[in-house]
Amino acid sequence: MLQRIASGDSAAVRECIDKYGALIWSIARRLSRTPSDAEDATQEIFLDIWRSASRFDASQGSDKVFIAMIARRRLIDRLRKASAEPPMDSMEALDMVASGDQASSSESSMEAEQATRALAELRPEQRQVLELGLLHGLSQSEIATRLNMPLGTVKSFMRRGLIKVRENMNIDAEGVSARI
Amino acid sequence: MSQTPQGQPDDAMVDLAVKLVTEGLSSAEQRELDVMDNEVASAYLRDLERAAAAVTLAAGTDGAPLPPQLALRIVRQAEQHFATLAGNVPSGATAAATTTSPPRVSRWGAYGWLAAAACLVLAVFGWMRSPAPPQAPAVAVVAPPIVPAAPPPPPAPSTPAQERDAMLAKSDSVKVTLGATKDPAAKGVTGDVVWDPATQKGFLHFVGLASNDPAVKQYQMWIFDAARDQRYPVDGGVFDVPADANEVVIPINASLPVGKAAAFAVTVEKAGGVVVSARQHVVALGAAS
Repeated sequence: MLQRIASGDSAAVRECIDKYGALIWSIARRLSRTPSDAEDATQEIFLDIWRSASRFDASQGSDKVFIAMIARRRLIDRLRKASAEPPMDSMEALDMVASGDQASSSESSMEAEQATRALAELRPEQRQVLELGLLHGLSQSEIATRLNMPLGTVKSFMRRGLIKVRENMNIDAEGVSARI
Repeated sequence: MSQTPQGQPDDAMVDLAVKLVTEGLSSAEQRELDVMDNEVASAYLRDLERAAAAVTLAAGTDGAPLPPQLALRIVRQAEQHFATLAGNVPSGATAAATTTSPPRVSRWGAYGWLAAAACLVLAVFGWMRSPAPPQAPAVAVVAPPIVPAAPPPPPAPSTPAQERDAMLAKSDSVKVTLGATKDPAAKGVTGDVVWDPATQKGFLHFVGLASNDPAVKQYQMWIFDAARDQRYPVDGGVFDVPADANEVVIPINASLPVGKAAAFAVTVEKAGGVVVSARQHVVALGAAS
């Protein structure tokens, strides 16, 4: 689909909006501060996709990961420019209400499954650091404040967690290659 | 140096790469990374970005599709982008045939995009009208013949309080008592929510809730849907309490369809509300039995 977008196929563009609109909208809302921010970010992300489609290399990962990478880059850039408060927070009262099973629909892809497995192998505090950073848009120093944890520990957890996911993905890829 | 003799990135490189993919770099840090840039560093950075994206995907979505107006803006933006690339800007200005070569037929012609826009609107609008839990819409369908809208319901009662009373009388409506928190705005407050799952409408009812300055802060309603990620409750709209109002009844405007309302909450937010609450000022909470 991304190769078709790069070649100017209007049907592929529609397909992309249909297929990934909900995903991008969801990521944008998580990492934006206001509804209008999320809308602006979503438009910018799609424009980035149109511009970057020709650079997609299927050997480097799925189109879903490619699009999530583009979305993250744009949103991180916007967060840095805004550089105000983090978009999310937790509060004991609502966390009590929100402590039920997570019912989100995970985006099915090989990479997502690999990440899920890697996250499951992390210690809870490592996983929490990774989630606050990657999913809630908190900086390392904000996470340190939030969790009352030394900044060095946060950096270490973030680094190890991300490397663990990376290794899991690479190991799986090598495993697939070895089987072929 | 950005890599060890074994061809692995060194600690400084890894730290910068991790920071880049999680929160971005300052200008100074970016320059530092640029100096380190080489094949190993680039490959490592790309792998970390893939890992961060994979974690994002693993977290999933809440199932909410693009708002229809936003989808249309994206379609129009794409039309403009690709028309520009094709040297065929749809400016509406004079397009006189001054060239001797035949006009290039753009694959991004107006008719194609009108059809695309129509499909998107129909799909998303169809979702909005559906009371079922949301799913990402399959848009690429042939638009069915437009059916005239159903006749409007009989005139509704004239005030929110009367509408709330009418809803309470319905057997399938749900009433949830809200408990006040220790937030100063909630002192001595009593309240409840009446929610009708069939119509996706409801009412907040408060006695004693502190008044607010709408230019500075507003109350915002949240609905926790049992079928959704509980970290991201559905926005039920913002509302105000006038200075002289001891008792208020507020219509709930859920921004997304709610499959099963499991709990309700009210927070204090900046004027205009927020997408995701920081949850620093929760004034009332209540769980459905």
